[in-house]
Amino acid sequence: MTEPILSIKNLEKTYPNGVQALKNLSFDIKKGEFLVIIGLSGSGKSTLLRCLNRLHDPTGGEIHFHEQDVAQLSSTAEIRNLRKKIGMIFQHFNLIPRHTVLSNVLMGKLAYTSTWKSIFGLFSEEDKAEAMKYLKLVGIAEKAHIRADQLSGGQQQRVAIARALTQNPEVLLADEPVASLDPATCHTVMDYLKKVNQELGITIVCNLHFLSLVRLYATRVIALKGGELVYEGDPKNIDQAWFEKIYGEGSKEVHIN
Amino acid sequence: MESGTQSKIFRRSILDGVSFTLFVFVVLSVILRPTDEDLLNLSSLSYIFFGAMLAGAVLSHVLNNAGYKTFGENLFEPAYVKARAEARPWYNTFWGWHLFATILVLFIVGIFKTKFSMYELLDEDGFEGAKRLFKGIFSPNWDVLPTAVLNIVETVFMAFMATFLAIPFAFILSFTAAKNIMKHPAAYAFYMFIRTILNVTRSIEALVWAIIFSVWVGIGPFAGMLALMIHSVASLTKQYSEMVETVYEGPIEGVQSCGASKLQTIWFAIVPQVILPYISFTVYRWDINVRMATIIGLVGGGGIGTMLIKYQGQAMWAEVGTIIVVIAAVVWIMDQASAYIREALK
Repeated sequence: MTEPILSIKNLEKTYPNGVQALKNLSFDIKKGEFLVIIGLSGSGKSTLLRCLNRLHDPTGGEIHFHEQDVAQLSSTAEIRNLRKKIGMIFQHFNLIPRHTVLSNVLMGKLAYTSTWKSIFGLFSEEDKAEAMKYLKLVGIAEKAHIRADQLSGGQQQRVAIARALTQNPEVLLADEPVASLDPATCHTVMDYLKKVNQELGITIVCNLHFLSLVRLYATRVIALKGGELVYEGDPKNIDQAWFEKIYGEGSKEVHIN
Repeated sequence: MESGTQSKIFRRSILDGVSFTLFVFVVLSVILRPTDEDLLNLSSLSYIFFGAMLAGAVLSHVLNNAGYKTFGENLFEPAYVKARAEARPWYNTFWGWHLFATILVLFIVGIFKTKFSMYELLDEDGFEGAKRLFKGIFSPNWDVLPTAVLNIVETVFMAFMATFLAIPFAFILSFTAAKNIMKHPAAYAFYMFIRTILNVTRSIEALVWAIIFSVWVGIGPFAGMLALMIHSVASLTKQYSEMVETVYEGPIEGVQSCGASKLQTIWFAIVPQVILPYISFTVYRWDINVRMATIIGLVGGGGIGTMLIKYQGQAMWAEVGTIIVVIAAVVWIMDQASAYIREALK
C-alpha cells in the first residue's frame, strides 16, 4: 500500500488566459489506494486529474509514472500509450449517445486497435468478450445492445466505468463521478468504484464534493484550495476546523445518504 | 481583448469611411457635373475614393473621440459597451442621423443608377407587350410537355449527381475547415488555406462556373453538373464544418481518455454528433441544386433551362408557359419533400 504508483512533484498549470489552476503541487498516489480529492469548485481538482492523463498539458513540474516523467511526453503515440494505463470517468459520463452500450464500452480498446480496423468496427471477439465481462461486473450486461442515450444517469456512469475498465488500466481517474446523480444512485456508482478498487486492485483517484461520501469510500484524502494542497491524510481526521479551512469560514457540511 | 478592439476600429473605419466616401462622391458630382468620360477615368476616381476613405476614417475617429458616436462605432462596439448604453430614440443620437442620411443618399443615388422610371412602367406600348407575354404564358402549349418533362428529369439528375459527388469531398474537407479540430499551429495554417479557397469558390456564382465548364467540357448537362458540384462542395463544406464546430466536448474527452487517435476521435466522438445535420443539409442542397440547375441551363448547362432559353429567344411564350409550369411543379415538390425529410431527421 505504500509504494507510489504516481508521484507528482511541483506540478503547475497556468491556462493561456492567465488563470493559475495548479500551484507547486506535490504528493504521491499510492498503489491500490482509493484517493479522494476534495475542494471547492475551481480549486483545480478537475485540472489536476486531466494533467495526470494529459488531457491537459501541465506548464511545469513532474508526474512520475513507471519511472517516466509523463508531464514531458510530447508525441501522440506516447500520450496514447499513457492513456491506455490510466482510465477516466466524468461527471457527465461522456458516452457517445447514439451508439450502443457495447460499442461505447469497446471504445476502451481504441488504443489497442488500429485506426482502420476500429473505424470499420472490426474489434476482435476477445475484445467483445472482455467488454461484456466488464459490463457484467457493473451489472448492466443486459443493456449491451441498447443505445447509450436510452439509459439513466447512473446506468450511463456504470457503462463509463466498464469502458474505462476495458482499457485494463492501472489507475482510474474519476472526475466528480456522482455530481449529476441522485443520492441513491450515487451510492450504487460509488459502490462499483469500491468494487473495482478492491476486487481488481485498480488505484482510484476521485474528485468528490460530499464529505459523507469521502468518509465512506476514501482510504486517503487530499484537499485543494486555490490550486494548492491544504490537507493530506485520513478522511476521518477532517473535523470542523479543517472543513472551514478547506471550504472557507462559516461553511456547513451537507449530508447525503 | 486587444485584438477585439483593433478589429472594432478597423471595421468601424471601413464602414464610416465608405459612408463618408458616398457623401463625397455625391457632393462632387452635384458640384462638378462630371461627363461620361470623367466617370470612366478609373485611376483618378480611385485616388478620390481612397482619399475619401482615409478622410472618412480619420473623421470617424475624431468624431468618436469628441463624443459623437458614429454609425460604425455603434454597430461594431463590443457587446459589453452596447449593454451599458442608455436607450435613446434614434433621432436624439448622432449615429441615428448618420444612418438615416446614408440610407437616404443611397436611395436617391439608387433611383438615378437604376434609371427608375414610373413613365416606362406605365407606358402603354410596353404594357401591351407584357400583356401578350402573359397571355402566352397563361395559355401553355401542351405539345411541348413531353420534351419539357424529359428535360426536367435531366435537370433533377444534374442536381442529384452534383450533390452526390460533392458529399465525399465536403465530408473530408469539413473537418479541415473546423476551427476546433485544427488547433495545432500547422493545422491552423492549413485551416486558413482551406477556408480561403472555399470562400473564393463560393463567391464565384455557379452560373460563372457553368460558363467556365461549358467551355471546358462543352455545352450540356455535364458542364452544368460540374458547376453545381463545385459550388456544392464549397457550400456543404462550410455548413458541415459549422456543425463540427458546435459539437459537445464531452464525448471527445471521453474517447480521448481511452487513448483514441485523432482519426478515431473524429470518427467516434464527432461524426455521430454531426451525421443527422449533415444529411439534412445535403437533402436541402439537392433541393437548392434543382432550382439552380434550371438557371444554369440558361447559359448552356443543359436541362430545362437550355430549353427555356431556346423558346424565350424566339418569343414563343405559350411554350415558355408550359416550361414554367413544369419547373414550378418540380421545384414545389422538391421543396416540400426536402422539408418533410429534414423535419423527420430532427
